[in-house]
Amino acid sequence: MPVLEAPQILVIAAALAAAAMWLMLPRVRAGAPSRAAGVVLGLASLGFFASQLPGLGDWADGLIVFVFSGVTVAAAAATVTVHKPVYAAIWFGLVLLGTAGLFLVQGAQFLAVATVVVYAGAILVTFLFVLLLAQPEGRAPYDRTSTEALVSATVGAVIVGVLSIALGRALSSPTLAQTMPPAARRATGVLSEHHVAALGTELFARHLVAVEVAGILLLVALVGATAIATVRKEHKP
Amino acid sequence: MPTLETLVKIALLIAGLMTAAAYLVLVERWVAAWIQDRLGPNRVGIPLTKVRLFGLGQPIADGVKFLSKEECTPAYVDRLLYFLAPIIMFVAAMAAFAVVPIGSVLPIDVEIDGTTRPIELVVAPGVDVGTVFVFAAGSIAVFGVLLGGWASNNKYSLLGGLRSGAQLLSYELPLGLGILGVVMVAGSLRLETIITQQAQSGVWNAAIEPLGLLVFFVAGFAESGRLPFDLAEAEQELVGGYHTEYGGIKLLLILVTEFLHMFIASFMIVILFFGGWHLWGLTGSGSEVTWPVAIIRVLVLLGKVLLTILFFMVARWSWPRFRFDQLMTMAWKVLLPLGLVNLLTLAVWVEYGDRVSRAMGLPPLAVMAVCGWIVLIVAWAVLAWALPNTTDNRPRRESAGEL
Repeated sequence: MPVLEAPQILVIAAALAAAAMWLMLPRVRAGAPSRAAGVVLGLASLGFFASQLPGLGDWADGLIVFVFSGVTVAAAAATVTVHKPVYAAIWFGLVLLGTAGLFLVQGAQFLAVATVVVYAGAILVTFLFVLLLAQPEGRAPYDRTSTEALVSATVGAVIVGVLSIALGRALSSPTLAQTMPPAARRATGVLSEHHVAALGTELFARHLVAVEVAGILLLVALVGATAIATVRKEHKP
Repeated sequence: MPTLETLVKIALLIAGLMTAAAYLVLVERWVAAWIQDRLGPNRVGIPLTKVRLFGLGQPIADGVKFLSKEECTPAYVDRLLYFLAPIIMFVAAMAAFAVVPIGSVLPIDVEIDGTTRPIELVVAPGVDVGTVFVFAAGSIAVFGVLLGGWASNNKYSLLGGLRSGAQLLSYELPLGLGILGVVMVAGSLRLETIITQQAQSGVWNAAIEPLGLLVFFVAGFAESGRLPFDLAEAEQELVGGYHTEYGGIKLLLILVTEFLHMFIASFMIVILFFGGWHLWGLTGSGSEVTWPVAIIRVLVLLGKVLLTILFFMVARWSWPRFRFDQLMTMAWKVLLPLGLVNLLTLAVWVEYGDRVSRAMGLPPLAVMAVCGWIVLIVAWAVLAWALPNTTDNRPRRESAGEL
């Protein structure tokens, strides 16, 4: 019988993560708490979380998943804790690549490349444009500090904790997908050879309205941005 | 065994690409010399002898020069990003080649997980999203340009990086539209399937969707950032653009990456629009191959790619550089509408074309080719009529009457 049950370990891990993030978030005043301690606590928290991961079968698969997850989480922590805005953007890019890698390990090829194309290739580049032009040196205090360190660390940790406990419950009982024989899983899931076609059929048959609504929303945003950006002529009365 | 096979492929690919890049620099200089009526590099041959070999030793001399130059890092740069930028660019460009087929298959069977299959001439065979993967790798290249320009901490570099970033970002849209048309006709995102489909029908996509080819070709040109589109460098105004502050091996990495971008653009043009390894009466179209056919297919593909690259090189000395506002007009007001028209035409054809042309008793692909060319001419004429003849980028001024 283990000393601690799974939910308790996850709660401890989340609390450690909150403390670590609180220590690591950038501050205004000199003599702020030690960031090295934050890194140590963060690693401990990661260890607790990792101990709760279910077994992944083949050790090579497991190693790849652990490397990608570790890189993603560490880069995510770095995104919010580094001082320079441009570096934050780069770390965020690494988060996206790590996520894409995790998708790829799961066999979701299209999601993986779409993540890279849309987020890293388009959205993040737009961020970079603004960051490069706005503060080349990154010296402004509002760029370098986190104003509500305690609140944001707590909220983040609560979300992560609740999600991982819920996920742990879900994983402890076998899901429909896991009870299916491998051949059936291969035919229906992301491991299928034609999963892109299947994904497209699903999107444009079952979720057609949602896709169209999202498209129209983007179009409206585009028109709105154009209207705001256009130089207005002063009308004389 | 599959790991070994992949490693061998990667090694061959990297060696081949680097050698090709080195020697194509020489070819480019020869082409430039020919167009400008000069002799070009023709002296470097075997060292310490008088054998010249038409200048074939030049790439080796260039490489040694780059490697042995002083590695000068300016004091005011952001060191980490300054070193990282060329690496990001290079890695992204190389990664794109993982899904690009260099031929069809070799007639050697390997056994993997109990199933035997012939060796496919691509590093990552069976990637279901090949085209999007190439696209994704290309979109990562923007980071190298932007970060290189920013980290150099130099106004010219920053301006070059921003210009180039905006250019790459804008031209990704028409590029994607060009790819989408081909994907719709082939019904797959897999590059191997796209080639096979063209080989089996015997009609290359260039014939049935010339408008898509036009859009993709120009956008591919812009993505590789060569002369009509080389605003990032623009020697006369920006010194060297985003790589002004780079030297030695880092500059070499950046220059090789630019060549790799041209390779990938050429490969994609050939694979998507010019039938890949297919040539009528020579290569066949089946998946069962013998050794001669396998080799001929590789040679045909590489020959087509070489022709495309030569076209790139000749084009470099044939058009003057665009101004920035012309560049943006080209992307957003010319290529984007043309791409959309192309996509719409193909969508209508994929849905109704087959039925209608069969009902009329005509071969569907011939009908599509005729429709494609008519659409190209009409769309071109409409754009030519709608766009102004001259463009003016002087600052806006209120007319005297209104003031």
